[in-house]
Amino acid sequence: MPGLELRNIRKAFKGTEVLAGVELAVAPREFIAFLGPSGSGKSTLLRIVAGLETADEGEVVLDDRRIDTLPPGDRGVAMVFQHYALYPHMTVRENMAFGLKNARVPRGEIDALVSDAAKVLEIEELLDRKPGQMSGGQRQRVAIGRAIVKKPRLFLLDEPLSNLDAALRLRTRVELAQLRQRVDAGVIMVTHDQAEAMTLADRIVVFNDRRIQQVAPPMEIYSRPANSFVARFVGSPAMTILPARLDGGGDFARVVLGNDARVDTRVPRNGLPQGETVEIGMRPESVRVCGLGEGTTDAEVQLVERLGERSLVYARLRDGAAITAEDEGTTSAKVGDQVGLRIDGAAAHLFGPDGTGYHRQAA
Amino acid sequence: MAASVARDRLPPLVWAAVLIGAAIMVAPLIWTLLLSLKSNTELVGNSGAALQPPYTLGNYVAIFGSSSTTRWLLNSAVVSLGTTAGVLILASLAGYGFARLDFPFRRSLFVLVLLGLAIPSQAVILHQHQLFADLGLHNSYPGLILPGLIGPFGVFFMTQYMRAIPKELDEAAMLDGASRFTIFWRVILPLTVPAQSTLAVFTFLGSWNDYWWPLISATRSDMYTLTVGLAASQMNYAQTSGLGFLMAQAVFASIPIFMVYIIFQKQIVRAMAGAALK
Repeated sequence: MPGLELRNIRKAFKGTEVLAGVELAVAPREFIAFLGPSGSGKSTLLRIVAGLETADEGEVVLDDRRIDTLPPGDRGVAMVFQHYALYPHMTVRENMAFGLKNARVPRGEIDALVSDAAKVLEIEELLDRKPGQMSGGQRQRVAIGRAIVKKPRLFLLDEPLSNLDAALRLRTRVELAQLRQRVDAGVIMVTHDQAEAMTLADRIVVFNDRRIQQVAPPMEIYSRPANSFVARFVGSPAMTILPARLDGGGDFARVVLGNDARVDTRVPRNGLPQGETVEIGMRPESVRVCGLGEGTTDAEVQLVERLGERSLVYARLRDGAAITAEDEGTTSAKVGDQVGLRIDGAAAHLFGPDGTGYHRQAA
Repeated sequence: MAASVARDRLPPLVWAAVLIGAAIMVAPLIWTLLLSLKSNTELVGNSGAALQPPYTLGNYVAIFGSSSTTRWLLNSAVVSLGTTAGVLILASLAGYGFARLDFPFRRSLFVLVLLGLAIPSQAVILHQHQLFADLGLHNSYPGLILPGLIGPFGVFFMTQYMRAIPKELDEAAMLDGASRFTIFWRVILPLTVPAQSTLAVFTFLGSWNDYWWPLISATRSDMYTLTVGLAASQMNYAQTSGLGFLMAQAVFASIPIFMVYIIFQKQIVRAMAGAALK
């Protein structure tokens, strides 16, 4: 199978397991984001693909060729490091040519490849500068350029935007998206910034606790999280997840919250785990502020964040459970107010005792 | 900028103290220089004559004409340059090994190297002398250079410096298909140039000024280094043609070291400041 295949990758550092049997297939030219909290194993997996770490078990196969037994330089992968890792004593041109020289590419060809890449990245005027004479954004481009000239089959990006300021990060994100259209290779990007993952990736791989939690396109990760970890981790602010009790209903589950509020979900009843105890998950946008007594439940406002086009209202239910709701940008809700909350049951998610997510049927 | 501001604000009293201190430091040097420019006969009766003209370069001419000074100078140059080159090569390689390679007993070996700093050369001199005698290395350049290559400080210094270089650079180079040696030679070594130059200056000065080992190892006058040679001249009046000549030898001997100081002023100051801060 062309593309990248990871087969049962295991890795432990001094007895502490960091990857517990990871399986993943990446299609050619696919843009994959590894998303997860610090220490979830995502960077380790990237480094195993790069050859900077060796897996204790498992195989890395790229375009039908096993590469985990090859030295990093022979794997057909290129990496952009978090801190760029440009050679400080070399000019941009030398930085970009270094890998090609090691591969004994003829000099004329090196010059052509370097100037092509420089043109694509608009760094031609920087070619004779050294990294110390450039801004963070420029260094980032050079780091990408150094990866591009090698024409790898797979790009590995290790938190490539984390060192840039907010404005530059946005711009570079757009550039990365454009760039990926021009290169004929797959991309794996490690990030802990979900906005980066959501906007750039074809599919997101969510890591936690040594394992892959979910592999899916960004919107599916957002709207059909595989488990409560993914539900909490993706989305800002995080999804509210409250304990609830299954309480009859027809084809779809009806749940009762701790304060006796009822929510009719669109989650099919069959397929739900045995027992009554579940958790209900609600994104802020599916919980709207309304008049007292007019909604699904009432709550007391704890904090209001006005974001311009909308406001986030952090509230507490009668039983003390915290819930995040959304309101107009011009909300009149104030701290201490009693308000009603209208929960859109159709958008609610259920999670079983083991955290598995249950969602409304896909349209 | 900060330095120049501080200098401008120096109070007059401190200025005066600094000037007096400088004068005290420089006076013997000027005295040596003046003595070297006087003929020996003039100085025999009264060395104060050095303060009045006429001055002459006769003593310097004599160095090239009639003494072994040029030979000693050459010996010193060979030994110092050889030692410096050797120390740089060995310390860089060992430093890279300790900083980057994973091998059994790495930490223990590093501690062992550091312990070497605690052993004074005097403590091993008898065995060293015996060893070099057995190997027939006395009165030879290898005999003078080899002991100087054992430099725990250099290894420690280069190890620490290389440890501070981000490992990401090695990793980037690995992904760029570089071999271990290419990484060392093309990526890491060029980045250690500031450390290399500091270590080079210290090693060169230390080797040039060394008196102890050459005194023991070089027993033939044609293998003397400058320090040993000049000392021998002072003690043996048969070789001395007088005070002026001796001073001219001293000035002549210090020219290379003076030049090293001038050229590498920045590195020396930085190294001294670094040592003071640690």
